[in-house]
Amino acid sequence: MNHQGGWELIKNTWQSWLQHRGFFFLLAFGWMLPLLVYLMIWSAAASEGSLAGLSQDALAGYYLVLVLVNQLTYATTNWTVGDNIRMGQISRWLIQPMSPLYHALSSEIAGKVVFMLFSIPVTAFLALIFRPQFNLSWQQSLLFIPSILLAWALRFFWGYWLALLAFWATRADSLLALQDTMIFLLGGHLAPIRLLPNWMQSLAKILPFRYMSAFPVEILTGFLDKNESLTGLLIQLGWTSTAYLLYRLVWTRGVRHYEAVGG
Amino acid sequence: MAEPIITVKNLTKVYRVPERAPGLSASIRGLFKPKFQDVEAVTDINFTIRPGEMVGLIGPNGAGKTTTLKMLSGLLYPTGGEAKVSGYTPWDRKAEYLQRISMVMGNRSAMNWDIPPLDSFRVLSKIYKVPQDQYQRTLDELITLLDMEALLKKPVRNLSLGERMKCELVAGLLYQPDVLFLDEPTLGLDVAMQRRLRIFLKQYNQQHQVSVILTSHYMADVSALCERVMLIHHGRLIFDGALQELADKLAPFKLVKLQFTTPPTNLEGFLTQFPSVEYLPSENGHHILRIARSDVPKVTAEILSNLPVADLSVEDPPIEAVIDQIYEEGKV
Repeated sequence: MNHQGGWELIKNTWQSWLQHRGFFFLLAFGWMLPLLVYLMIWSAAASEGSLAGLSQDALAGYYLVLVLVNQLTYATTNWTVGDNIRMGQISRWLIQPMSPLYHALSSEIAGKVVFMLFSIPVTAFLALIFRPQFNLSWQQSLLFIPSILLAWALRFFWGYWLALLAFWATRADSLLALQDTMIFLLGGHLAPIRLLPNWMQSLAKILPFRYMSAFPVEILTGFLDKNESLTGLLIQLGWTSTAYLLYRLVWTRGVRHYEAVGG
Repeated sequence: MAEPIITVKNLTKVYRVPERAPGLSASIRGLFKPKFQDVEAVTDINFTIRPGEMVGLIGPNGAGKTTTLKMLSGLLYPTGGEAKVSGYTPWDRKAEYLQRISMVMGNRSAMNWDIPPLDSFRVLSKIYKVPQDQYQRTLDELITLLDMEALLKKPVRNLSLGERMKCELVAGLLYQPDVLFLDEPTLGLDVAMQRRLRIFLKQYNQQHQVSVILTSHYMADVSALCERVMLIHHGRLIFDGALQELADKLAPFKLVKLQFTTPPTNLEGFLTQFPSVEYLPSENGHHILRIARSDVPKVTAEILSNLPVADLSVEDPPIEAVIDQIYEEGKV
């Protein structure tokens, strides 16, 4: 463990990312847009009262929180991991006395800060227009914290182990696109999970994708009761541990297989 | 004699390379029945290096130089054999080991291109856990030696190739490694910058007793820095010894340059009495003779007493010509 080096790296990455903030702001805007479109569609559908018990205000609350949660949990870094392996860039990290995981984590953390600089003010402004409604209890807000941390860790490590398959297959990042699609369908983007057909709801509750994005939102917006929240957290913890173990496994084998191309 | 700092025994690396014919149909066939070919990059290499020694690793492109360095720096797992560097097995990649070695590559950057070098240096000093006062001292020393005060605050992407190489060297030496692997450090640099870096490396090596393995295609680098060279060809170590010895072995002749007060009437006729002498076309008034080493004293004495000599010099053939010959023939 080399936390001091890791922290210095985060500060530096942040500095270098801020140089390109225009690019990241546009990226953040791009991610926001589809969710806002779904918000408007479902709001229109709920205009005559409510939809499966969700009022327009509740839907607005759900989607606006989802905008932020989605950006906090989306692991942009994983898209570059495959390239770094394929082009041999990872070599320079492998010869440093610090786990290369820190490089991924530093751009993750740096990225979140840059995205939030844009997304928080924009979402606050949208809240003035859509007037979301929250029934927050302190228990919910308390459970929200572990759930969003786990959601990030799960989404990150799941994508990371998939991206590390680049040690064997040069275009492993297509698996990341598949992960995004699954999150779109079963992670509460296309629609809040409770609006999905029953069989999809059951699938969403078992598979990891809901726990990467919609789950913390459902807790914070009061969609779930206490029991549902606690069961969900347990499943989330289980998937996160699995993702971490898969990362360890793929990493140790991948490094042995690494061919350090170029130079 | 000091204990070796690097010991390499029977080191071997075989790559498994996918192989397919060009064209779409071949790539579709490759999907179902991939073909592989084993390529021996490095075969059964043995050597030791003493602390503070600077050794040149030479050989044509694809000979296995970089693969060897990558195994020694822990980037690649070998297929066979063993190596100990500073008491560690490189490919275990222990943090204590990585802290002691440095790999500087002429074609790959350790710097973050968006920010000034000084920021990258600070991150590296934390990653390598260099104490603050030692970091400042080392940095000052390197900056003075490389004369690069002016570069420190510009983003790396705005630096020239030579300036960037200076930064790479600082990045590689900040934590005072015991062992330095230099892979083509002067690649693409102009002659003046190459010379500068050579002077720096020599000075640094003398002051800090760092052990260095250097690969380069510029023989000037190798002859200026390394008394000892190892020559790799097709993955095998075919020579390990003094550079001069290599030259002598390969080029058992010397070049004698002559200038005359008055042009001799029948020089070539005169030379026929020495069968080992070869007359090379004259260059701007100089006549050049290629003479077997053992015959040089006798032949020059004869020439001096019989011909109107104004100037005579005896030289070794240029090292480039010697190396070129080995690369072509593949043996010493």
